[in-house]
Amino acid sequence: MSTRWYPLYQKGNPQRRVFLPNFWLKLVKPEHNQPKNILEFHCSMEMTKFDVRNYLEKIYNIHPVYVYTRIALGKTYIPYGCKFVVKDDDVKIAYVTLPKTETFTFPDIISKDQEDVNAKISQNLEDNFREFSGKNKTPGFPSWFSHS
Amino acid sequence: MATFTKIVQISRAVNNVTKLFTNLVLSQNINSVRSSMFIQRMPTFPCSLIHTTSKRNDLMEFFDDPKNWDKDKVRVGRSWRKDELRLKNNEELHKLWYVLLKERNMLLTMEEIYKREHKYFPNPERIDKVEDSMANLESVVRERNKAYYMLETGTTGERPVTLKYNPLGLRFRYRLRQYSRPKHANPEWHKTHQFGYSGYAVAKFLRLYREKLWNEKRKSRNRQINRVASLMRIFPNLDMEAVKEQYPLADIEKVKKLRKTDGHFVRD
Repeated sequence: MSTRWYPLYQKGNPQRRVFLPNFWLKLVKPEHNQPKNILEFHCSMEMTKFDVRNYLEKIYNIHPVYVYTRIALGKTYIPYGCKFVVKDDDVKIAYVTLPKTETFTFPDIISKDQEDVNAKISQNLEDNFREFSGKNKTPGFPSWFSHS
Repeated sequence: MATFTKIVQISRAVNNVTKLFTNLVLSQNINSVRSSMFIQRMPTFPCSLIHTTSKRNDLMEFFDDPKNWDKDKVRVGRSWRKDELRLKNNEELHKLWYVLLKERNMLLTMEEIYKREHKYFPNPERIDKVEDSMANLESVVRERNKAYYMLETGTTGERPVTLKYNPLGLRFRYRLRQYSRPKHANPEWHKTHQFGYSGYAVAKFLRLYREKLWNEKRKSRNRQINRVASLMRIFPNLDMEAVKEQYPLADIEKVKKLRKTDGHFVRD
């Protein structure tokens, strides 16, 4: 049998096992305020509550107390200036409850001062231009055109 | 004296090599160095080739390394190739699959974070690389499966497939599956799996569809014939073997007789 194809299970057969699971799981920042021991995941559509629990226990060594899943419908909207309807993809959301003793706060990955990078680049560019135009004796000519 | 020192050096080098070999086999006394002279000349033992990442079974596995958080470029290597994966045994492949799976989860999580902040995700091709590796790994496992089944049972062990006609009269590969009930006792199956086609509209559609396919074929052949003819007109001493290879649909004997093939001169 190929890796993704199983024979029909009949009583007495060996238990069917998944050797190469191709499920994915995303840890996302909760949309609404949640208690500190509740995690929000986006998971593949095919996953069930039991799959999510098993996945976390076996692969990540996280032991959830309770798992709840729901399918969030994608937004349907008409793009500005268009005459058709667009629907975003549906996502399956899994809410995983950790034991009371454990807490998790979502880390701040994108720091606020990173926004200054673009400003710094443009400032640098401006400075360079000012320096260049100050030195240039023949404004309007390209930099490679020079006379000593 | 010089020769003597040389001999001593050579013997030391030989010692060095033999020691390396013993280390390779036993890997016990890696750091045991006899003399201080030895240290400078001894090549570093390939301990750095063996990487062991610390096991962190934690929720932080869903996030990238903190040192990569603020970077706008994250440099990574290429994906695993099939040839490399073929060298690995099944256990190694199994382990690698979970490494790749965790990596993909991490990348998807990071991508989502950047997406929500309306920022560029640094090096998004990392996801493609991981997925490419995973596809390669799966195909290698599948190869082995096939080989094993061919040896043991004489079949490939793949999901069986038959050709069926859909209601539009087009053939498709129907992938069979096992059922707990036989076909004659399964009316629901017959309701949802209706193969074959009939009716005037389908016949008309098929006629027009085939005509379209034939036209495409005919046009491509004519295009090749015209191309060969013009080539023959411009270059009288053409290499016909090369032409045949490049334009397989053109019948060269036929093209030679065409009016288009003649140049503006009188033939002998």
